[in-house]
Amino acid sequence: MAIVSAFLIPASALPCMKPDNPPWGRLADAMETAGAALAESKPDTIVVYSTGWFAVLDQLWQMRPHLQGIHVDHNWHEFGDLPFDIRIDTELTQAAIDSANEKGIKSKGVDYDQFPIDTGTIVASHFLNPNNRLPLLNTSNNLYHDWEITRDIGALVAEQAERLRRKISVVAVGGLSGSFFRHGIDISEDRISSVEDDTWNKKILALIEAGDSEALLAECPDYAAAAKVDMGFKHMAFVQGALGKQLSGGKVHAYEPVYGAGAAVVEFSI
Amino acid sequence: MSEGEIVAGYLAPHPPHLVYGENPPQNEPKSRGGWEQLRWAYERARASLEELKPDVLLVHSPHWITEQGHHFLGVKQLSGKSVDPIFPNLFRYTFDLDVDVELAEACCEEAIALGLDGKMMRNPKFRVDYGTITTLHMMRPQWDIPVVGISANNSPYYLKMEEGLEEMDRLGKSTRRAIEKTGRRAVLLASNTLCHYHFREEPEIPEDMTKEHPETYEGYLWDMRMIELLRKGEVKEVFRLLPQFIEESFAEVKSGAFTWMFAAMDYPEMPGELHGYGTVIGTGNAVMEWNLIKAGLAGSGLTAIA
Ligand SMILES: [Fe+2]
Repeated sequence: MAIVSAFLIPASALPCMKPDNPPWGRLADAMETAGAALAESKPDTIVVYSTGWFAVLDQLWQMRPHLQGIHVDHNWHEFGDLPFDIRIDTELTQAAIDSANEKGIKSKGVDYDQFPIDTGTIVASHFLNPNNRLPLLNTSNNLYHDWEITRDIGALVAEQAERLRRKISVVAVGGLSGSFFRHGIDISEDRISSVEDDTWNKKILALIEAGDSEALLAECPDYAAAAKVDMGFKHMAFVQGALGKQLSGGKVHAYEPVYGAGAAVVEFSI
Repeated sequence: MSEGEIVAGYLAPHPPHLVYGENPPQNEPKSRGGWEQLRWAYERARASLEELKPDVLLVHSPHWITEQGHHFLGVKQLSGKSVDPIFPNLFRYTFDLDVDVELAEACCEEAIALGLDGKMMRNPKFRVDYGTITTLHMMRPQWDIPVVGISANNSPYYLKMEEGLEEMDRLGKSTRRAIEKTGRRAVLLASNTLCHYHFREEPEIPEDMTKEHPETYEGYLWDMRMIELLRKGEVKEVFRLLPQFIEESFAEVKSGAFTWMFAAMDYPEMPGELHGYGTVIGTGNAVMEWNLIKAGLAGSGLTAIA
């Protein structure tokens, strides 16, 4: 099989920019742990699906071979800059674009100097690919795509990796419950904004840990609606598509609030 | 310092296609024109802005999204290259703008005084969003008037729409107070499209105007109804209908700029001047002006009485 490891991580800039705040620091530590596990799984390429990269017309795929620069988060600019240095596996990406187009998921590569890279992709690359060791396949979250299309995109990436004999690590970037605090809080006292959301998040993470994929997938639509999950939890759909029958639970390295919303670092069992 | 005032407000939407169609030197991709009706509308708006000679342009953009609070650009000079994430093929624009930091700080303070979360953006490496840049380019391509850039706190999407728009009303009122206190002659720019239903695929030649038309008939009818009301000065009716308009035509005014601008101008029941209307990839865009000087609602005489 092409997939050697798979992870779910939050898209928020906060663990990266402010790890001295204990809940966010625990997420940062967990992402470092995930990064070590990823390195140990020895992939050729890291596949990053980020809910923070919005597409509206076509499904967009990063096709610029080397991206370097400094990103400033739109909301958390006060905490500094996010430098990035990312290489792209353009061969695998082009294969995925072609395959998606053949399957009727209209897709386009982007290859532009200064194209805005989203915070989630940069966070993933920072923690899971320190020193820009491995190339990425980086694709977007088309706001009009539903669970099924997102799952199909995950599946076709895995298919193309298999065809090209690439070993890949799949990284889905996105949050859990989506209700954040709108007003300033004492960040050291950050918590999940409601008991209901917390209960839902824990229930879903427990299903992941139990390895009960069928129950997990059956609960996802209700979870997405009830806990206003970040982007309808489509990042999980991408994991489902990529892993297919391999989806059989995992380990939760951390579960914490980021300004009231839910965030977890999950390593799936492969 | 004499009391400042808002001299005009413009509805100034930001499809990057308009910059692309114009081919200014700052934009990398080159076109064979397109969207002329809207670009000519902006020519008229530019001419009237020139006559107004404001000290500052304030722009509220839906594409600087901030979940926590209303943010204000707070770095004296910002520059860089802005690439549109949806239309990178059309918009790769090198910008360099001056910020009226003193007014921005006053806007932030007044927003906080009215119970909103306000925050200054002090990071010099911050990249200004493409909505702000497109609106500013279309209104004033010389870039010789300082600006105040205001983010879209996504409250109308996150809260109930009416609650979110009520926050935008407060933001507008606080902006007005800041302008008055700092003595500026200010122009407000609401960077919003009307009906926002759009094509799902871009035509092969983006500027091929044989392909351009409203995406939905219902959306078009809504736009015409709202523009007619605005042209007649029936502002109360516009705001009564606004939630329904937003709901049924997916209008980008939901993001709040339009409400912010009208609240700051104190909802003048005066006819707006339509400079032009056109669609861009199916969405409805109007360039409109509310000139408070011409309407006798602003100007030196009034300031003296005040
Ligand atoms: Fe827009």
